[in-house]
Amino acid sequence: MTCRKVKKLIPLCAGDDLRPRLMTEVRAHVDSCPACWKELEEYRQSMSRLKTAANAENVPDWSEGEWRALMAHAIGSGREVREGGMDRRPAFLAQPRWAAASVLGVFLGLAVLTMLFKDGNLGQRETSAAGEPSVVSLTLVSQETGLQVVWFLDKNFEWKGDKN
Amino acid sequence: MVLSGRTEAFEPLVTPYRRPLLALAYRLTSNREEALEVAQEALLRAFRSLARYDVSRSFRNWLFQIAANEARDRFRTRTREKAALENAARDKPPSAGPEAGRERQEIRSDILQCLAVLGPLEREVFVLRDLEELDIKETARALGCSSVSVRVNLSSARRKLREAIRNDFPHLWEGR
Repeated sequence: MTCRKVKKLIPLCAGDDLRPRLMTEVRAHVDSCPACWKELEEYRQSMSRLKTAANAENVPDWSEGEWRALMAHAIGSGREVREGGMDRRPAFLAQPRWAAASVLGVFLGLAVLTMLFKDGNLGQRETSAAGEPSVVSLTLVSQETGLQVVWFLDKNFEWKGDKN
Repeated sequence: MVLSGRTEAFEPLVTPYRRPLLALAYRLTSNREEALEVAQEALLRAFRSLARYDVSRSFRNWLFQIAANEARDRFRTRTREKAALENAARDKPPSAGPEAGRERQEIRSDILQCLAVLGPLEREVFVLRDLEELDIKETARALGCSSVSVRVNLSSARRKLREAIRNDFPHLWEGR
């Protein structure tokens, strides 16, 4: 490696910032070349002195008031974001469509239960000779349209037929 | 803890970097007021972006990256504004305004005077690599550029600084 090429690489060599292969080549040259060695030492010293001066320098610091205000601002804004982002309602109520579907589902469920347990609608039983019901009928009535559907089930609750 | 939603844990997390962060901002901007703004904005941005923080990475380096980006954004904005002002005032006789006075007043430390000989990227690279001791890879990541670019600018920065120290700061050159 020539002095000219090494001189280009010395600034990086001074901070060990060359790739390993290049670093080995530059060091090998510097060890045998007093001029390049001197230049490398100058770079190292200038870097070291700059760093020492930077460490000794009186850099500004936050006043306690500034720091407190900043932390309060950051934490306050974080809480706002967190609370604003966290919806305390159940997820199914967060969207209008789901809310409507839920209400409809609950209504239909109640309607079915009402029909099931309503007097007179909970099956008219035909009893067998042994006294056990052989056929169960189930009448479903729509409260909105008045439509009635009667389901017939056997004693094993297998569907036997219907009647409108 | 902060990542799990305990915002109060943010302060203990950033307190160790309180002064280094401001020092970094000061060396990048050369102005205390601007450095304060940069550091404040960097901390607020860090707080808002904590969910995106890669825990395998040094928190300090991540914080420095945010501060360097903020300082660079401000530098670009200021440069644009300055160019616009100069265009507008091209016909007026030159006069030293309050801004110039402030700059002169601010540049008082040896380090800041030395750094003034560097270009923006050279300065960022030098401050992060040589003063804050990030490695080449982390410096590149912090500045959003390649390792090659970092090496080129670092080499150039060290060369310029060596010349500046030798010619203008004999007390630094002689180690006094």
